[in-house]
Amino acid sequence: MDIIQDLNKVFREVFNNPEINVTSETTSNDISGWDSFSHINLITAIEIYFDIEFTQTEALSFNTVDDMIQSIINKVNTKKR
Amino acid sequence: MALPDKINHNIGYLCTDWQVLLGHGDKPALIWISYGRDEKRISFKDLMFQSNRAANLFSKYRINVGDKMMILLPRIPELFTLFLGGLKVGINCCILFTSIGEDTLKERIDDSGTKCIITSKKYLYKIEKILSNLSKTPTVFIIDSSDSTSKFIGIQKEISEISPDFDTPNIDIGQPSHFHFTSGSTGRPKGVQHLHGAITNIADSFMEVFQPSPEDVYWCTADPGWVTGVSYGIIGPWVNGITQIQAEGNYNAEYWMNILEGNYVNILYSAPTVFRMLMQNNDSFYSRFNLMKLKRIYCVGEPLNPAIIDWGRKVLGKDIHDTWFQTETGSIMIANRPGIDIRPGSMGKPLSYINPSILDDNGHSVPPLQKGLLCLKKPWSSMFSEYMKNSKSYQEKFIGDYYITGDIAYTDKDGYFWFVGRNDDVINTAGHLVSPFEVESALLELTEVLDVGVVGVPDEVLYEKTIAFVVINDSIKDIRIADMKLKLHVSQKVSSIASPKEIVFTDIIPKTKSGKIMRRVLRSKYLNEDLGDLSTLEEY
Repeated sequence: MDIIQDLNKVFREVFNNPEINVTSETTSNDISGWDSFSHINLITAIEIYFDIEFTQTEALSFNTVDDMIQSIINKVNTKKR
Repeated sequence: MALPDKINHNIGYLCTDWQVLLGHGDKPALIWISYGRDEKRISFKDLMFQSNRAANLFSKYRINVGDKMMILLPRIPELFTLFLGGLKVGINCCILFTSIGEDTLKERIDDSGTKCIITSKKYLYKIEKILSNLSKTPTVFIIDSSDSTSKFIGIQKEISEISPDFDTPNIDIGQPSHFHFTSGSTGRPKGVQHLHGAITNIADSFMEVFQPSPEDVYWCTADPGWVTGVSYGIIGPWVNGITQIQAEGNYNAEYWMNILEGNYVNILYSAPTVFRMLMQNNDSFYSRFNLMKLKRIYCVGEPLNPAIIDWGRKVLGKDIHDTWFQTETGSIMIANRPGIDIRPGSMGKPLSYINPSILDDNGHSVPPLQKGLLCLKKPWSSMFSEYMKNSKSYQEKFIGDYYITGDIAYTDKDGYFWFVGRNDDVINTAGHLVSPFEVESALLELTEVLDVGVVGVPDEVLYEKTIAFVVINDSIKDIRIADMKLKLHVSQKVSSIASPKEIVFTDIIPKTKSGKIMRRVLRSKYLNEDLGDLSTLEEY
């Protein structure tokens, strides 16, 4: 699966902005409206979309989209096993 | 700092031109730190020239004295120079939170009759979405484009070429200068108007509370969309010729500690929520940073609990001073400050020129240790002059000669003030006031939502968090997706700050016989407490 494309869909939905194009280097500073409040919504949306769950520590540790991708891959792979 | 009586009281002028006249021209006014940790220093002379360019640009486009202007920009240098330039012209300015939702943005533009909005390409989409629905189309300036269309004017090239000289006209202290929006427990957030005369209290309170030395570096972390960000992140330091830091980006403990250490910050002004987040790091994390230059720390926005003061003393080796004020008061009214012993948990003592009193419901003063309404004797120069288009609400905020703050407090026998709570339903989450009504209105727009009641409950980090009790229709199959949809809807329509932290799906919202939501019952239900007297309940 192309996680970055799927993540992009989630970002566009959460931040209500069809112009968003995330890359692995994208950080909260690059996205209008990505603050500590909307971060919680973003995490929940990712959990729903990928059918996974993050711990609170994981959710707070993401500094870039790449951090999210690595965590999502790990969780999806763990589920498949 | 006492302002000379005959000086031009224009806030934009006093923060820039006057500082140059006082000999601060080459001193850094702003140390700006970008996302990429690059640093840019802007002197008071630069601040004067750049705000003059902005003033000339506004004049050219006939944005004139008394017109209203909104700024939708992140914390970049242009935000500050455009704001000061607007003030120089006599434009009535409002800085918005960049997290603002589209419905709220539309309401604020319409309610205030804003003539002009300044933004950047990154935030333009928010304006594009609502532009055709506005009752009056404002002029929209884009700062990082030189291209113009029928709807937008790119000013990047133009502002760099326009004259840096501007003769700021003398202004009456009663001239509107800037406004903010604040939430009440009922109705939409109200526009709170301030005047150029506010500069006196803002300048004096800055010196009385923060007590800076002329060479100190000061850092106020508040967003300029908040009254603190304007009064003490723009006006207070600059009218006193103090160098201040502004940093792009969101909270991050390592980033912030690096700024404190690397930029030799002497005075830090932040919010209790920030310290509660910092407290989540191990104490050893802080031993990596040398904070020898940091003299004092101050807090605002929420009650400062004693645990934070203890942590500050133990881990940072500093006292943390509480300060108290409101959007309506415009400047600090009560504070713990150097020279006064800190009583952990108290708000401190009133500033030298402020006369607060604890009154009962009939407006009579109550003795020490008795709880009552915290009220402030009017007038003071930074006091709000009106709620825009809402004179009834404005009148209701006064009892005789006193402004009613809406806070419940008491004094001790030594004159310290102690916050107890609010006398309304407004939610204070991380220092931001959220109106339950506004969140309820947004949620009721969704066809899935049949009824809703919103309350604030205590939270370890945010002080209070927003909880929405929601009755949804039977067609909803997946509660998890519904939960997400509801939260996102509030985030996009109102703001991410207002988005409920939790949605509690329920069968019924408890209401009085007159149809008023019984928030006390909802709060008790969430906290698993005794529901108390339910005799006025219509149904439960």
